[in-house]
Amino acid sequence: MAVEELCALEKCLGLKAGKYSSRAQGDRKIPVLQTNKGPSLVGLATIASHLVTEAKKEELLGASIEEKAIVQQWLEYRITRIDQVSSKEDVRNVLKDLNVYLEDKVYMAGKKITLADIIIYYGLHPIMADLTVQEKETCINVSRWFSHIQHYPGVRQHLPSLVFIKNRIYSNIH
Amino acid sequence: MTKEENKGAAEDQAQSKKALKKQQKEAEKAAKKAEKQAKLASEQQADEGEDFAKDRYGVPPMIQSQDKPERTLVRVKDLTAQKADETVWVRARIHTSRAKGKQCFLVLRQQQFNVQALVAVGDRASKQMVKFAANITKESIVDVEGVVRKVDQKIESCTQQDVELHIERIYVISAAEPRLPLQLEDAVRPEGEGEEEGRATVNQDTRLDNRVIDLRTATSQAVFGLQSGVCQLFRETLSKKGFVEIQTPKIISAASEGGANVFTVSYFKTSAYLAQSPQLYKQMCICADFEKVFCIGPVFRAEDSNTHRHLTEFVGLDIEMAFNYHYHEVVDEIADTLVQIFKGLQERFQTEIQTVCRQFPCEPFKFLEPTLRLEYREGVAMLREAGVEMGDEEDLSTPNEKLLGRLVKQKYDTDFYILDKYPLAVRPFYTMPDPQDPKYSNSYDMFMRGEEILSGAQRVHDAQLLTERAMHHGIDLEKIKAYIDSFRYGAPPHAGGGIGLERVTMLYLGLHNVRQTSMFPRDPKRLTP
Repeated sequence: MAVEELCALEKCLGLKAGKYSSRAQGDRKIPVLQTNKGPSLVGLATIASHLVTEAKKEELLGASIEEKAIVQQWLEYRITRIDQVSSKEDVRNVLKDLNVYLEDKVYMAGKKITLADIIIYYGLHPIMADLTVQEKETCINVSRWFSHIQHYPGVRQHLPSLVFIKNRIYSNIH
Repeated sequence: MTKEENKGAAEDQAQSKKALKKQQKEAEKAAKKAEKQAKLASEQQADEGEDFAKDRYGVPPMIQSQDKPERTLVRVKDLTAQKADETVWVRARIHTSRAKGKQCFLVLRQQQFNVQALVAVGDRASKQMVKFAANITKESIVDVEGVVRKVDQKIESCTQQDVELHIERIYVISAAEPRLPLQLEDAVRPEGEGEEEGRATVNQDTRLDNRVIDLRTATSQAVFGLQSGVCQLFRETLSKKGFVEIQTPKIISAASEGGANVFTVSYFKTSAYLAQSPQLYKQMCICADFEKVFCIGPVFRAEDSNTHRHLTEFVGLDIEMAFNYHYHEVVDEIADTLVQIFKGLQERFQTEIQTVCRQFPCEPFKFLEPTLRLEYREGVAMLREAGVEMGDEEDLSTPNEKLLGRLVKQKYDTDFYILDKYPLAVRPFYTMPDPQDPKYSNSYDMFMRGEEILSGAQRVHDAQLLTERAMHHGIDLEKIKAYIDSFRYGAPPHAGGGIGLERVTMLYLGLHNVRQTSMFPRDPKRLTP
């Protein structure tokens, strides 16, 4: 899963395909990247950041120190929260968090797309695909952001495009 | 006088002296006692003496129709400012009572109407009378006589806001037991509100177990008032359109739709079934040249579904009609009937609608004239556009049905629409196939607020085609022989449909459970009351 999405990220960044394997850590699988120079890289966030540097697209890691910190924070959120959801309740909480955060934002960090947007988008895709129209409307800010990111050139790759209705159809339900 | 006698007399005297003393003592004692008693009595009298009003209250003997007094009872809803300063008799229930020193405030309720009443110590009422009034149990039925008085400040908690009743007499006609299984105030509290304020709400089962009390609430009164209106308007509209009301048997020998889900009842030495729809009989009436028929009656479904909208017994409003060339003649007629019902409800039952809305807030019901008719494939296209994946000939699932309802509402601003041309595969065998595309059929469902309320179709009126269709569905021809035979002697082309009364009421009012609109609901888990 994580490997698949790193491949997508590589394509998105215009890189050649790297050699991936995965390693079990507890009951989770951690991606591992075999590089030409030095030891192999472990973990989604580490590899993703490495790929960005490799592609010379450092702006995706954040324009300022603050933005860089925010990007790292969301990469962590992706791994510690989004990848950990195990119940409907967890899903609800994650969506609630994000919905509140995205209320006044176009991107996760700063005014341009960053690695945080791409990685959270990949992580959220299976969750969003499962939502009903009404649930999508409840987390309207997440839906807006998600729809925007999936249409961002190059990001979506192999993932199916999800449908979001432009008009609110449940707005008058109490 | 002899000596003897003298002696005797002397003895007598001595004795009598003693006796006298004794008597005196006793008399004194008695006097004291009497004095005490008199004092007590006078005290008591002083107490009772104040009760000049003892004829003005009490519990009269049970009404066994012994008298027929010329007394006019005024309806609570008629207690308005126009009646100010009149003395009236009212029969009502004690809705609430609150005693405060020398007065007792009562709220008297009659159906969904209530009025504030007051018993206060004064020249008409005594202390004892106030005490008596305060001790009458809630929900007891009383007769009261009182003067209608205008109030300066509107009484927000009552339906009769401009007046109150100053009680001069109060008699208990039928007392309620002091412990009620549920409190009426709790039963009408808007959803959610109770939880916030830590107040009790009444759950569905408690309501249904004590339905007699639950039905007394203003909300229940309004719901069933409106439901009666649906039936009345259905009859009125169809009679005007020239339909004949028919009665069909409910005990039948074979399952009418040739399928499962029927209740079996023992019938002397054999068994019979409870009709799951009057379908066959409606169609037979058409074959018998009644042309346009309708019927209102119970229908039984032995489906073990415990959902918010399934009952095992409900009231079906059924229509069947012969048409000339196209089944849309029938669809238009049915849709117009429903529109007339919606309009009639809006005009005649505004109070009821608002009463229910207070407890269960919802948007007013919207519909178009003429009614919106969409084809099934258009509906599927709308769903796909919204990201739903489904096949062309797949039936609508409940969530998809609801979603389509929202999409239609958003696009066309109507809560009522018709979905026409269902895939043939998802309809019963007697449904007429579409002449152009054999995948589809001349059948339709009607929806209110995204939920199905009517299902209907043009029926196959040709015995041979009917046999083919039944065989295609793998139905035992022997079991439906009588049904097929009714079409052998010439049958007009016809179509029809059946509406669920409880569902229409529920969806019109925007309620969320069909048990709220069934007076004594029957579901897989409930047979009583």
